[in-house]
Amino acid sequence: MEKSLFRFIWKNSAKYQVIILLITCLSYPVSFMLLDLPKQITNDAIQGSDFPREVLGFELDQIEYLTFLCVSFLLLVVVSNGIKLFLNVYKGRLGERMLRRLRFDLYQRVLRFRLPHFRKVSSGEIIPMITAEVEDVGGFIGEAIALPAYQGGMLVVQLGFIFLQDPLLGLAAISSYPIQAYIIPKLQRRVVLLSRDRVRNVRVISDKIGESIGGITEIHANDASAWHSADLSDRLYTNFRIRFEIYNRKYFIKFLNNFMNQLTPFFFYLIGGYLAIKGELSLGALLAVIAAYKDLAAPWKELLAYYQMTADVNVKYQTVVENFDPPDIYPLERITSDETVHLEGNLVMTNATFAGGASGQEVFGVSFKAEEGKTFCVVGSEGSGRSEVLQMAAGLLSPTAGKVQIGTQNLDQLSEATLGREIAYVGTSVHVWTGTIRDNLLYGLRHRPQEEPIADEVGQSELRRWKEEARATDNPEYRLDVNWINLERNNVSEVDELDARALEIIETLGLSRDLYRLGLQSVINPDHDAELVQRILDARHALAEKVQTDPKLRNLVELWDVNKFNASASLAENLFFAVPKDSTLKLEDVLKNKRVREFLQETGLEERLIEIGRQIAGIMIELFSDVSGDSELLDTYSFITQDELPEFERILRQMKQGKLPKKTREADRNRLITLAFRLVPSKHRLGVMDEYLEEELVKRRQEFRETVGTDNDIITFFDNDTYLPTLTIEDNLLFGRPRLDRRDARQRIDEVIRSLVMELGLRQPVRRAGLDYHVGVAGSRLSGYQRRMICLGRALMKAAPVTIIDDTVAGVTDEDKAIRQGVLEDLKGRTVVFGSASMAVAEEFNGYILLENGRVSSSG
Amino acid sequence: MSIDTEVAALRKVSLFSGIDETKLRLLAFISERMEFQDGEDLCVQGDVGDSAFIILRGEAAVIVDGEHVATVGEHAILGEIAILCDMPRTATLRAIGTTDVLTVSKENFLKLMKEFPEMSLEVMRVLAQRLEKTTRDLADAKSHS
Repeated sequence: MEKSLFRFIWKNSAKYQVIILLITCLSYPVSFMLLDLPKQITNDAIQGSDFPREVLGFELDQIEYLTFLCVSFLLLVVVSNGIKLFLNVYKGRLGERMLRRLRFDLYQRVLRFRLPHFRKVSSGEIIPMITAEVEDVGGFIGEAIALPAYQGGMLVVQLGFIFLQDPLLGLAAISSYPIQAYIIPKLQRRVVLLSRDRVRNVRVISDKIGESIGGITEIHANDASAWHSADLSDRLYTNFRIRFEIYNRKYFIKFLNNFMNQLTPFFFYLIGGYLAIKGELSLGALLAVIAAYKDLAAPWKELLAYYQMTADVNVKYQTVVENFDPPDIYPLERITSDETVHLEGNLVMTNATFAGGASGQEVFGVSFKAEEGKTFCVVGSEGSGRSEVLQMAAGLLSPTAGKVQIGTQNLDQLSEATLGREIAYVGTSVHVWTGTIRDNLLYGLRHRPQEEPIADEVGQSELRRWKEEARATDNPEYRLDVNWINLERNNVSEVDELDARALEIIETLGLSRDLYRLGLQSVINPDHDAELVQRILDARHALAEKVQTDPKLRNLVELWDVNKFNASASLAENLFFAVPKDSTLKLEDVLKNKRVREFLQETGLEERLIEIGRQIAGIMIELFSDVSGDSELLDTYSFITQDELPEFERILRQMKQGKLPKKTREADRNRLITLAFRLVPSKHRLGVMDEYLEEELVKRRQEFRETVGTDNDIITFFDNDTYLPTLTIEDNLLFGRPRLDRRDARQRIDEVIRSLVMELGLRQPVRRAGLDYHVGVAGSRLSGYQRRMICLGRALMKAAPVTIIDDTVAGVTDEDKAIRQGVLEDLKGRTVVFGSASMAVAEEFNGYILLENGRVSSSG
Repeated sequence: MSIDTEVAALRKVSLFSGIDETKLRLLAFISERMEFQDGEDLCVQGDVGDSAFIILRGEAAVIVDGEHVATVGEHAILGEIAILCDMPRTATLRAIGTTDVLTVSKENFLKLMKEFPEMSLEVMRVLAQRLEKTTRDLADAKSHS
């Protein structure tokens, strides 16, 4: 990677820089004419004589001449500003492109780091480097060459003018330059060093913050907040000191520069005045020189600012880039090449040695042969070098001596396209990606896009532009929105068919029950699978039938019945009889909708709901006002939080006095209505509801539905024949609420649902829906065990010739053993290398080696 | 059915007799009201109890070792000791017909006592009186034997 910013700029944007420079020079005569023309208009056209004048072969009288000059002026204004606009956009675009190129390059370099290198870097430091730290570079690149060239040119021209007037004065004009040229870089060097320190310090800060977030449980569990606060505060102080130092120097440089610039006129007046008095220089020439010198100041100032900025940006660039150039970085072809070599033959490790310095366990001269199509076990406790040996076998780690071969291929020479497709690897620490379970299982099949993007007319031009930009910045031309899943491996012709295989693997791994439960909890898009939706609706009807005919069940649930009040649901649900379309909203939030408000007002429900809200607030204040703020009672049972209590007290007081202020009226009324909406009658037995109101709500339901209409964009109405997209499959099946006043109603009805799902053959489709379950950030919604199994499933899904599994289902328990057998059965006929800590496990394999302290101590 | 009827029922319980109105209302509010169908068990003999039951409506059979030993009706409080200490249920309670029951869980009751120490004092007072009565009864029984 280019070590200096200018080399990077020149290498990647020389052509554009020249264009910018040319256009900048081109704009110069235009600007000059623009400055000159007003003078001509006043002197020549307005105050001039000798009309008519001849211009371009036309005779013009004074007014016409004035008009001509003014129109020319207008034209020049347009041209000059047009050039400026074009230049700015051009520079901006160039900067952004270069920034994209730089960032992408840096990211790609991260992908090219060897594994041991990651023990030395932290994401807390790398992330700000690629994102924030290089930001300024982009803005600078457009100016990098044009600005010094242009301003330098101006300076030379002005100086030339002065020298022409009088060489002595010219010397006087530049007399301070040598001093400035000597002192300023000296001062600036110190600023550069400080900038480096600052960048490093900020990185440490960001690393510390990242570490605090990662270890937050430890911080709380050990009362270490104070220590970490002090640590960060100390870093912030260092940051302050460095910055303050930088300010001091930066402005001192400015001061010095200004001072020097104004020192020169002193010489002008003195020497020029002396010469003028002596008659060796005309007064007019002196004045012209002084005017010219004034014009010198502007470019000089610009150049100085540019110099300071260059120094600053250069430091930023260097301090970033030096972190992305480790000597042992993989060559670029390793990750970009798309050529796959089919790996066949025995996996042979010969005298493989790995010494990673301070990082990890060392391995000495390990040799073994795992025969093709057979199973092999590497036994070793933690720290025996087992993981390193397996990583070398997967081509993830390069042996420092010795070699690893599959057939005739040396793994160290192969590209990622071969290693990542022909070898499946499950390591000791696994990673589940944010996304669905399906995404994660199919992750190992997603190497390159499998098809060309299809785009319509409009999309075509957008696509072309997208490609051009990618080319201009050396980015890959892979579209994300096409299918990336390789189907050939699993011998299927459509992505959907992979689901069957995925479910098979899930079964093998013993995750079926988990997946079924996740499936019931998952929210599916009904447009994706119309058949499943229909089957769920059928099951819903069957369940309703069952519930209605079985007296035991009837008492457990209250189904959504448009003609009945549901005491286990909130008032909002009872009135609107719907769920919000946006799953992030609560049903109370529909109050913000104008049509809903109007409906409540017109039907007079608003007043009644406010009254209920008022009563609830009253009871809550009465019950909870003595309860201390930190009591769980308030959190668990109250409608109102501790902070809100005084607010509601105020509202009630003002209502009593009949003077709720106009301004807050609407908001306060809404709060009371929201309170009423949250009431679930069978849970909160507050005595604020009566049968009449229940009937009223049921009656208004229909009206509400007619007023708002089914095609609105806020809510979906409950309807026995409609699938509700924002509810889980389970809630869609049940289509009601387990009664809150019946013990264990939820569990008992779950049991019924489970047997019904079984009866109707819905288990498999529900599991399939479970594949759509979103696992949360990095799999946070799965258990550690589930995450590991998903990663094992990913390896099975890949169906690679060689599969390497480390420390997963590697125990001696019956459960592990059963799954292990299933996995080996699934991989039958392929080479398997398995890592386990237990010697007892090795017996299940065709061969083994036992590692102790990085050496093979026995084999068989 | 509102909170008032529940408060009235709670008031009849001797353990709660000294507790003031608002606290009782709070206790009623945080307690669960459950409906039991004919033949359903409120609790099973031998299980560890964690709540007291107050029958608001209907009846329940008290069954010890499979034998129906008593029938309790409205306002009866059952298993109140369970809300103060962990003890296995000494009998099975089975609903006769549809029965409404207010369930006061140990957890909630203890939370309230923690929040309002004066409540604890009231409960202690009642327990002390009971102990005193039992001691006297025991002494009487001994002197008669």
